[in-house]
Amino acid sequence: MTGDDNKRKRRDPFAERAETGRDGRKRMDRAAPAGDVPEAAEASSGRHSKDPFADRGASGAAGRKRIDRTAQSEDAADAGLEVSAGRVRKDPFAARGDTGTSGRKRVGRWWAPAPVAPAVPAAPQALAERIKTVESSACHILVVPDLDDGRLTSHDRDTLGAARILANGLDGAAVAIVFAGPDGPRDDLDLGAAGADCAMVFADAAFAGYAPEARAAAVAAAAEQLEARHVLLPDTAVGGGDVGRRLAVLLGDRAAGDVQRIAKDRIVRRGGGGRSDVEMSPPRVLLIANEAADPVMDDRYEARAVEPAPFAASPRIEDGGLAATDPNAVPLAEADFIVSAGNGISDWDAFHETAAALGATEGGSRVVCDAGLLPRFRQVGASGTLVEPRCYLALGIAGAPQHLQGVQRCERVVAINTDLYADMVKRADLSIIHDAQEVMAALVRLVQEKRHGA
Amino acid sequence: MALDVAVLVSLGRHPASGRMRPARADARALELALRLPDARLHVIHAGDPAEPALRDFLGMGVAEVAVLDLPKGADPLPALAGHLKTLRPALVLTGQRAEAGEDSGLLPYLLAEALDAALVPAVVAASFEGDTAALQQALPRGRRRDLRASWPLVATVSPSAPAPRLPAFGPARRGRIETLAAEALADTARSEWKEKPARRRPKRLKVIGKGSAADRVKAVTEMQGGKGKLLTDVTPEAAAEAVWAYLVEEGIVRERGSE
Repeated sequence: MTGDDNKRKRRDPFAERAETGRDGRKRMDRAAPAGDVPEAAEASSGRHSKDPFADRGASGAAGRKRIDRTAQSEDAADAGLEVSAGRVRKDPFAARGDTGTSGRKRVGRWWAPAPVAPAVPAAPQALAERIKTVESSACHILVVPDLDDGRLTSHDRDTLGAARILANGLDGAAVAIVFAGPDGPRDDLDLGAAGADCAMVFADAAFAGYAPEARAAAVAAAAEQLEARHVLLPDTAVGGGDVGRRLAVLLGDRAAGDVQRIAKDRIVRRGGGGRSDVEMSPPRVLLIANEAADPVMDDRYEARAVEPAPFAASPRIEDGGLAATDPNAVPLAEADFIVSAGNGISDWDAFHETAAALGATEGGSRVVCDAGLLPRFRQVGASGTLVEPRCYLALGIAGAPQHLQGVQRCERVVAINTDLYADMVKRADLSIIHDAQEVMAALVRLVQEKRHGA
Repeated sequence: MALDVAVLVSLGRHPASGRMRPARADARALELALRLPDARLHVIHAGDPAEPALRDFLGMGVAEVAVLDLPKGADPLPALAGHLKTLRPALVLTGQRAEAGEDSGLLPYLLAEALDAALVPAVVAASFEGDTAALQQALPRGRRRDLRASWPLVATVSPSAPAPRLPAFGPARRGRIETLAAEALADTARSEWKEKPARRRPKRLKVIGKGSAADRVKAVTEMQGGKGKLLTDVTPEAAAEAVWAYLVEEGIVRERGSE
């Protein structure tokens, strides 16, 4: 095609090559393929290129035939598999159901099975109202709760919990013995919820006041009548601990005091001045320490009434009633109601008047005791006394961390402070942002009005 | 008229140094006895007469301490009961619990039965009125109760009793320790016990049995902060009313009259 001048024959590179490629071989015509590559292949002269964005159809990238997973699982659509032409993708946010990441069936303890509704917890009502009756029991476990003002204390509940452990272990019945005045026990005294299978109520004028000898005689009579295997009492100084030790002497038993852990055949009690734990087999009379066992919570027991046993007692102690005590004379660690002064108090006469009017014990923060405005034994806090009153009235106290440490176990705190952001205000159940002096004066006037006025 | 008062004393260990020292409740019992006017004191100990810590009782102002010579671990009850029966005191004072040994608190009760005496626990004050003794008992939360009992009487002294006086060196040296022979019986029941150093019990968290697992976790881990009532911008009278109402509602003060 070129001129004859050059010997070498040159082909025109831009002319159409037709069937022969550069190296002379016959070119395969990809423009007209065999069979199944569809429209995607663009028919063009030259190299046949597939359109990468067109649908691949049944052929994967490697040219192999692709397995159609859409047809495989029947409920693929339910499981959240997106069925699309092309690669089958699982929706990662849909519930997996039975299948884990490896494709195996999952043994699930926490997955929700196919209906993905949240598990409805058993109604607490149903659990609590399940009553257990004790028809015949192999033995009896007696429990004598202290009953502060006719109510079960938390120590009483722990003792009943310990009795429950023994009763369940020995297949026995827990019999609660209640002492009440001639009017009987309180209506809201729920021994069944606390874990007693039976209840024996001694309602007599003799038990209205302090009568430990009569109580011990009554419990001894009940223990003899029911042939009690164990008698449990809370180990308190003037309550169950006193009655229990008298009972141990009457029954001739070597009682175990300050029992920390209890099982049906072994107990652990504290001895040696609180320095050693003694593991032993349980004697008949057990005096349970505070928080030794968990109180009974779940099941409800039937506190079936049992006829009280007849007893005879000749008490030698005469009860003179509660003595009128000067609240300021009570040691701070034992006080029930504390009115405490801080740096914000300038009118000290008013403070003393307030404490006297409310019948509270005086206390103070470290700043006040350092300045000598209150004696050192009145200091409340980490370097003073850790107090546990039922109510703590903090006047003009900012609430340093060490002071709050001293009040840590207090149930109710009332703070009167001029600083809104003081830590004591954050701790308090009732806070008043005002000058303490004025509030003290108003409080004294109000108390005098209530007590001696109308 | 002078009455015979017996004080039973024992020893304990100081928690930090481990040194023997007078048991605190027994020291308070001796203090109570020393404050009784017109009383002939007999201080009695059951144990080792050579123990130097016994001198601290002498240092509190006592002329003589009688010691019943018993080996460690022996039961003191028979020896003490026998000695007290010959002594016939009107009042026996001792601490509520011992600080060493079995520490069950049963000894005063067993002694009361052996002596056919009444027993009053947790006493903080005592005085004699003719034929009877007027006692004051310590109750929880700082309350006190008045009691009366006729002697012979065994009284255990509460840890809330007035603090004991400090021992002085001179009287401690001058005082006499009298040793009395006593019969020791072996304690067989004790050999079956397993004793270990005490383990501190962790403080129990709030026990919630009811409700689902989520309720229980929430009840224990929920922060209790920020639940208080806040009153700003009130007059002093309104503030006083609010405080009074709170105290009455929580039962801290009684509404009518003064108690």
